[in-house]
Order: sequence, then structure tokens, then C-alpha cells
Amino acid sequence: MDFLNPVLNGFSVVLEPMNLLYCLIGVVIGMLIGVLPGLGPAATIAILLPLTYSVEPVTAIIMLAGIFYGAQYGGTITSVLLRLPGEASSVVTVFDGYQMARQGKAGTALGLAAIGSFIGGTAAIIGLTFLAPVVAGFALDFGPAEYSALALLGILLVATISGGSKAKALIAAAVGLLLATVGRDVFTGESRFTFGSLQLADGIDFVPIAMGLFGLGEILYNLEERHRAAKAPSKVSNVWPSKSDLKYASGAISRGSVLGFFLGILPGGGATIASMASYAMEKKRAKQPERFGKGAPEGVAGPETANNAAATSSFIPLLTLGIPANATMALMFGALLIQGVTPGPQLVEQNPDLFWGVVNSMYIGNILLLIMSLPLVGIFVRILRVRAAILAPITALITLLGAYTINNSMFDVTLVVFFGVLGYLMKKFGFEPGPLVLAFVLGELLESSLRRSLLVFGGDPTGFFTRPISATLLLVFLLVAVLPGVRSMITKRKGTTAAAESAGNGTNQNIKEKV
Amino acid sequence: MMHFPSRRAVLGTASAFTLLALTACGGNVAGGAAAGNSSKYPSGPVTLTVGQAAGGSTDLIARALADGAAKTLGSPMPVVNKPGANGALATKEVAGKPADGQELVLLTASLVTITPLAVSKDEAVNLDDLDIITGLSQDDYVLVASQASGFKSFKDVTGAGRNVTFGTTGVGTGSQLAQTVLFKQANVQGTDVPFDSGKPALTAVLGNQVELATIQLGEAMAQIQAGKVTPLLVFSEERNSFLPDVPSAKEAGYDVPVAQYRAVAAPKGTPQDVKDKLAAAFKDTFKTDAYQEFNKKNLLTPKEISGEEVATQWKDYAAKYKSLVEKYGISLGGNK
Repeated sequence: MDFLNPVLNGFSVVLEPMNLLYCLIGVVIGMLIGVLPGLGPAATIAILLPLTYSVEPVTAIIMLAGIFYGAQYGGTITSVLLRLPGEASSVVTVFDGYQMARQGKAGTALGLAAIGSFIGGTAAIIGLTFLAPVVAGFALDFGPAEYSALALLGILLVATISGGSKAKALIAAAVGLLLATVGRDVFTGESRFTFGSLQLADGIDFVPIAMGLFGLGEILYNLEERHRAAKAPSKVSNVWPSKSDLKYASGAISRGSVLGFFLGILPGGGATIASMASYAMEKKRAKQPERFGKGAPEGVAGPETANNAAATSSFIPLLTLGIPANATMALMFGALLIQGVTPGPQLVEQNPDLFWGVVNSMYIGNILLLIMSLPLVGIFVRILRVRAAILAPITALITLLGAYTINNSMFDVTLVVFFGVLGYLMKKFGFEPGPLVLAFVLGELLESSLRRSLLVFGGDPTGFFTRPISATLLLVFLLVAVLPGVRSMITKRKGTTAAAESAGNGTNQNIKEKV
Repeated sequence: MMHFPSRRAVLGTASAFTLLALTACGGNVAGGAAAGNSSKYPSGPVTLTVGQAAGGSTDLIARALADGAAKTLGSPMPVVNKPGANGALATKEVAGKPADGQELVLLTASLVTITPLAVSKDEAVNLDDLDIITGLSQDDYVLVASQASGFKSFKDVTGAGRNVTFGTTGVGTGSQLAQTVLFKQANVQGTDVPFDSGKPALTAVLGNQVELATIQLGEAMAQIQAGKVTPLLVFSEERNSFLPDVPSAKEAGYDVPVAQYRAVAAPKGTPQDVKDKLAAAFKDTFKTDAYQEFNKKNLLTPKEISGEEVATQWKDYAAKYKSLVEKYGISLGGNK
């Protein structure tokens, strides 16, 4: 009962009309931007951050979370109907989803995706409900040493797991680490890279960086793509899948739920990776893998389930440890900080209403999304007709105004413009802004925790291995760092036997490059 | 294919835009009127700038004060948060505004008395650039020990005969100054572990990552009452009325009077009658039940002294801390 009480209280928080309303607003916005190619959840949350300033923390986070998982539903629609993934996490849905649409089964594909998303999301929330308090139970055991190990692991995973070029991800992460050092050194009071400016004395705030890189940068980048002609969407009919489709899909949905849940928890993981992994897994397991790419229902159901499960479970590391697993979670981190709430092990205990309110809002949000996405698909598709030339200036203006309101500071607006241009250039040259932002957040944590723990240990680095949690984390760090090298050595030795396997990996690689 | 924005999308974005514009205006509506005739003061809203983020104790004090003073002055007193550099940013900005009493700043003593010991000269705030209107309250620091340390009184610490680890709320804060000076005077070997603020320092004590920490009473009280941390000393000159059983450092025989004081200030050269009017308005606020209840709830000890007294006392403290630090050879950026 002790465990259930706060959970039930959380439901009473969600059911307050204000919170229900914001949950609905969140999932509708999420669905809309999911449909709009280009504008992703990270950008939307970055732009809307200042709007949340004036509402209650729990209400704000409920809305932002709704945007995040709502976008996973919306992204599917354009993948299936237009062969145009609305979100990176729906890229693999294109392969079979669009084929299904061409065969006149667009409704089935969308129906399967919605049902899978609902099941995956709900399964992940149940997992979150039970796992999060366990992790948070270790709250007080998490000292500086544990945080240094965790941050180190996080940065490594961000750089190695993220899609696209690894070298470019590393470069972006290094820039993030450098930016994290700007400001007054909290251990000596010495100013670093402030160039004598008091504005920089506290370092660069996370919010302008995120608003610039994700918000303004995305808007600028998308302006270039506005001439890409929109195709007429296929007709949608009969969204309820047939029995045989369900038979194919049910296995994919349950596997996708589990896979997505675990990939979402991993730092650097998240919805995009989960959907790709699920697609690869389904293809490998299938008795007739040649059906994939030609409209296999499990090729839609698996990835769509996995991306929703991952989107939900990536809240676990953020809410329980204060470690954002991906770029969108980094923005949630910023949103919580603006609200004066520090995400971390203490959150469940000190702010049970916020924690359980947000978690339980996801049940409601998923039901709302299921209701919206089955019968209302046609309406959302119409959104695609809004021209970028109208949308872009308005969103840019909202971003800049919002940046000013947070600290009443023109300097922040300048920062947003600067990082907006940087974000645009990064995208143009194939750098993902995600690793930069994550390394920026984790870099601050890494530096201060590392120096703090060395002070506690009296300067003796072996101290990290005397504490069970930090020792385990460092061991995992070593494994992750060394394993790929070892694996490639083994593959080289095996030579011919590896040929078959590398073919399988090849398709995986292809998918990653498209993101 | 036609490319018309749906009416709904345009309406939606437009209303979001309007909302934002309103949010932007809400905070800062300072009257543009120049100094002019002071008998007509106030000639519009009186802005109270806070150098700390919204929701912190300094911000809460500003809001409680502004609520009361706005009624007496008969004009709104919006609180504007401009966090940065411990409040130096906001203070310097207000110091540069016209001295007409329309722009005020909530000043923390540590910024004037302690921070200059840790940062370079041009980052420090000079009290001579400001006219202090009134003192507000005193926020005491308490030294707490973790359960695992086994310390029940400060005698246990001095008698431990080993190196102790202690958490501070950051470099150049009262928490750091109080502990480093105390341990030098008591001949205790200690390692200074700076945290970003009071909360993480307290968490580190709760989790036994450090043995001691000095934090503000308001932040520590809940855990003290729950028996999870043991209060050893308060750093005020007299015992704190909210913790009557805990000895002051002075009683224990140590000369280290450190507390956080707060005051309201205006740019230098504000006309005397404006200052008088403001001081009277604040005095009326101090008398209200709401404000007194606020102080009690936040464990703040009223220290509602005149602006001149604040200036003298803070300058004395600054000189005292400087001589203490020099006497014991302490560098507040101690981990260089």
C-alpha cells in the first residue's frame, strides 16, 4: 500500500481538469508536429519551453511529455501515406508502410501502428511505474563518484550509439564539452572563457543552446527544403487490421515493446535506435524475410511499437537519475530546471505528485492518441498543406520572444541567434546537434562530480572502484569502449564465416545512414 | 495543389504568439519617466530586480516585500529576476540606472562581503555605487553532521583527530567562509568539497558522501527535525530562535560570525525624500501579519535596520572577513 499510495495520488493529479487539458494540448501538438516533416519533438519542446514558465511544473511537464510521445504517433502517418517520415524514429516505417499503402492497405498500416504504439507505450509506462522507484531507492547511494561514472558512460554511449557519422558525433560532443567549461569554475572561483563578461560568469545557459540548435537551427534548415513538393496522400480506409495481419503483427508488437523499453533506458538510445533495431530484428526472425520492403505488416508494427516504448522508457534515467538519455530528454531536463525542479534520485521522494502525475498522464495521453489516430487520421494529413514560408517566420519569432522571457535578457536572445546559425550549419554539413547538447549537459556533471569525488577520496582515483555502484558503471564503460574493437578483430579472423553476418549488418547500416 | 494554411493553424499560432507577447510584457513594465519631480514619486511602477532565479529564498523575500510595499506606495512593484554571477549582474545593472527610485535591487550581503574574496576585482560589487534603503532579515547558517560521522557536537569534531570532509554551497559563499575559518580556529584538518547550492550539499550529507556541511537553516530544518542530520553549530552571533538548543559558534569559543543578510538598494544619488518614502513603505510592510508570518515560515530572523546601519555593518563584516582570511592564510578558491 505504501508503494501504491503515491501512484494513486498521481492519478488524482492527472485528473485535475487543468492537467487533463494540457495533456490533450500536448498530445495534439505532438501529433501535429509529428505529421509535419522537419519540425521534430526536440525543436517543438525547445520553442515552447518559455511558454511553460507560467504554469505549474507538473502541468508543464505533462504537456511536454505529451508532445514527445504524441510525435511518435504522428510521424507514422506521413511515413505511410507519403513516404516522407515525419520523424527520424519513423524512417524504417517507410519501407513497409508505404508499400502497404500502395497495395491499398494504408488504413491497416496506420491501424497497426496506432495499436502497436499504444501497447508499446503502455507496456513501457508499466515498466516505468515499477522500475523507477527501484532505481530511486538507491538515491542516497548516488554520490559524486557514481555520478562521474554515470556521466562518463553517458557521453561514451551518446558518441557511439547515435546515428550518422561517429567521427562527426564525437566532434559535436567535444564542442559540447568545451562549451560546458565556460563560466566561473565552481571549485576555484576562477573565470574560464568568459572574456571578462559578467553575462558569461555563470556559464552558458542550457536553454538558449537548445532553443538555438534545435529550434532556430531546424527552422532555418527546413526553409531550404520547402520546395520539396508534397504528394497527394493516399486514401485511408478501414483502419482496423484484419485477423491475419494481427497474427503477423502481434509477435512483433510484444517483441517491440520489450526491445524498445530497454533501448530507451540506455543513454544515447531512444526512439530512433529502437525502431531500427526492431525492424532489423523482425527481418532476421521472419520465415520469409523477402516479404520485408514489400508491405510486411510486422515491419510496421514492430518499429512503431518499439519507438513508442523507447520514448516512454527514456524518462526513467531522466526522472530517477537526472541523466538525460537523448536530446529530447535533455530538453525535458531544461524544462524541469526552469521550473525549479532538479531531476534526480530525490525527485520521487520530494516531488511524488510531479513524478507520478507525469508518469500517469502518459496512460491518459496514450489513450487520447489512440482515439485520435484511428478515426482522425484524415484531418491531420491536411496539416501538410501549411506552407513553410508562413510557419517558419512565426515559429522563429516565438522562439526569440520566448528566449527573452526566461531571464529577461537580450544576451540570451543573442545566444539563441548564434546557436541557431551554428545549428543550421551543423545540419547542413551532416553534424547532429544531439551529441553536442547531451555532452554539454553531461560535461558539466562529469567535471564537477569528478573533481568532487577526487576531493572526497583525497586525490586517490582507485576510490572509484571501492564503491559498488561506481565500480559496476565503470566496468560497463570499459566493456562498451572495448567490445566493438574486440568484435571486429574476431570478425576479421573468422573471415569467410562472417560474410553472411555482415550482409545482415549491411542493411542495418543503410538504415542508419538515412537518418 | 493549393497551398493555403488552414485557418486553424494560423489562429493557433497567432494566439500562441499573443500569449507570449503578453508574458514578455508582464515582467518588466518599468515606467519610462525620467527622474523629474520627486514629490510626485512614484511616477509609475517601481521595479524590484532580483539577482537570483525565481523560486529561491531571495526571490521569495522580494515577492513578499513587493506585495506589501506596492499597497503603501500606491503603485505596482513588479519583481524581475535577472540571475547571473551570484547577483552581481542584476546589481550592477540597477546601479547604472537613473537614480529616481523607480528601479530597486534586492541585495544579498555575501555579494558585498564574501564574494570579493573569491573573484577578481571587476566582478565584485561595490557598495559605494548604491544607496541602501533598508535592511530586511538575517538567514542563518547551520553546521550539520551526517549520521555515519557519529558527530553529536562540535567537540566530537575537534576531538576526532582525523581529516574530515565538509560540503559547502559553493566557492565564495558564507558556507565556505564559515567552515574554513572555523576549522582553522579549531585546528581541525578538513577537505573543502564545493557543491552548486544548499540542496546537493545536504543530499551529500544525507548519503554520507561528506561528513559535514554548512547550509542555510531554511534548507536544513526538515532533515534536522526528522533526525537525519545533526545540527552542531549556528554561525550567528546569538543563538537562533528557531534552533534554541544549538550553540552558536561564538559560545563554543570561535570568532566566525557569518550569516546571509538581505537589503533593498537603489542607484547612488537617489533623492532623500524618495528614499524616505520607500523606507516608510517598507516599514509599513514589516508591520503586516502577512510579512511577519512569511519570515517565520521561512525561518528568517528580522533585521529591519536603516540603510546607513546596513552599510556600516556590511563594511565591517567585509573588513572582518578579509582580515580573518588573511590571518589564517585561507584562499577561498582553495582547491587551485
